[in-house]
Amino acid sequence: MNVAIQIDHLIKSYGTNTVVKDISFTVKHGEIFALLGTNGAGKTTILECIEGLRKYDNGHIKINGKIGVQLQSSSLPANIKAIEAYKLFCKWNKAQENELFNVFDLEPLKNKQYKDMSTGQKRRLHLALALIGNPDIIFLDEPTAGLDVEGRISLHSQIRKLKEQGKTIIMASHDMAEVESLSDRVAILKDGKIAFIGTTAELTNNVGTKYRIFIKTKNPLQNAVFEQGYWVFTAENISNTLYELLKTCKQTKNTVLDVKIERATLEQLFMDIAKEEK
Amino acid sequence: MNAFLYGVALQWKLDLRNKGILLSYYIVPLVFFAFMGGILSSINPQAKDNLIQSMTVFGISMGAILGAPVSLVELYGSEIKKAYKVGGIPLWIAVINNFIAAFVHLFIMSLLIYFIAPLAFGAKTPNNLALYFLALGIFIIVNLLVGTALGLLIKSPSKLTMVSQFIFLPSIMLAGIMFPVSLLPKFLENLGKIFPATWGFKLMNSDVFDAKIIIPLAVIMLISIVISGYQLSKISLE
Repeated sequence: MNVAIQIDHLIKSYGTNTVVKDISFTVKHGEIFALLGTNGAGKTTILECIEGLRKYDNGHIKINGKIGVQLQSSSLPANIKAIEAYKLFCKWNKAQENELFNVFDLEPLKNKQYKDMSTGQKRRLHLALALIGNPDIIFLDEPTAGLDVEGRISLHSQIRKLKEQGKTIIMASHDMAEVESLSDRVAILKDGKIAFIGTTAELTNNVGTKYRIFIKTKNPLQNAVFEQGYWVFTAENISNTLYELLKTCKQTKNTVLDVKIERATLEQLFMDIAKEEK
Repeated sequence: MNAFLYGVALQWKLDLRNKGILLSYYIVPLVFFAFMGGILSSINPQAKDNLIQSMTVFGISMGAILGAPVSLVELYGSEIKKAYKVGGIPLWIAVINNFIAAFVHLFIMSLLIYFIAPLAFGAKTPNNLALYFLALGIFIIVNLLVGTALGLLIKSPSKLTMVSQFIFLPSIMLAGIMFPVSLLPKFLENLGKIFPATWGFKLMNSDVFDAKIIIPLAVIMLISIVISGYQLSKISLE
């Protein structure tokens, strides 16, 4: 079967506040699927419903395969050593203590207590724990939150290796750059609903190719956002917008000091979707 | 070693690394024993007759009521329970591990008092050794069940400290281990009967097995088991 996870009409409320509103999607085997959204969009709730950590009010969840979970906020007893936690989880999962500990470069940390580990080291340990028992489907909730650049690069590389091994990965993130570099498909959540689902390329096509024109002028310009010394305009047609802008500057005798044009990043497109109708 | 035994042994080691738990399982009870053993046996030579029992009741009450619930609050009041749940570790196992590890710690502490008291203070050893150790085992179990119920009922460490002290202090003051309960006003003497320390002290001082002493301990044990079971079922369903 090609479907790893199938979600049908999932609804979840906390009291009177419905945070997941009739959501349906599927995740295929072997793909990296990202749930994107601003804080409070419902990403973690959806993941926790799928993981079995949270009860849901309505809908159906079908999982084809063994799951491994790395939670957004997780912890272990303060005084437990990395190797002890690893052994404990291996024993309860009846799994062999294999090379996972070394794969995540945890060998130098094996006698380090949990309370003395850095955020990155804890993330690596929790990822190793999530992979005990060789799961087919791996859940990663904000996997790089709180990591430094080196930690992020290292974790991204490990996530790519998991994909190469044929694992299905479903991740929640609010970092578009991370999602863009890692995922095959994306679902953007907005107010508990899916605002977009598809590949990153489809996202670009769906929203349309937008450009950002940065102009530095002697005097202020109207109808523009001021960012780091430049007046910024968003446009789909560069030539028309740029022509109009330069014409206005000439007519008002406003000296143009610099002009830059950038193609809108996926992150900006995501922000556009997230902000729509607000 | 299977998962269960590994978990128990690991919990025992984690307790030894936790300064707070180490204080309540060993250091404070033994330091209290060293000071009070000397004072009580000097001012009242008759105190030597039940010095082992009184200091043991103090140590076990402290360890089980103030120390044992700490690990449970740390686990069930935090994200650790989620990590265990997704990691395939049953949530109830932490209660069992903590219980067995704490039992071993408190038994070792009790043995230290049992062996040191006669040598250091000339304390009298119990007449019926088998009954004493049976009583000791029962008393540790009942206290740990009370501690477990507290650890599962209370979610925050600060609240736990407050509630635990509320049980521990009257237990010690009203159990008869510091002075005879006959010196207390009737109301306080009766109040002392709701705490396991009062019955544990009586049981450990008995030369014969008295069912009347066991009944109140059994009731406390039963209530604690019901509370713990209910709380655990709630935690599992969350």
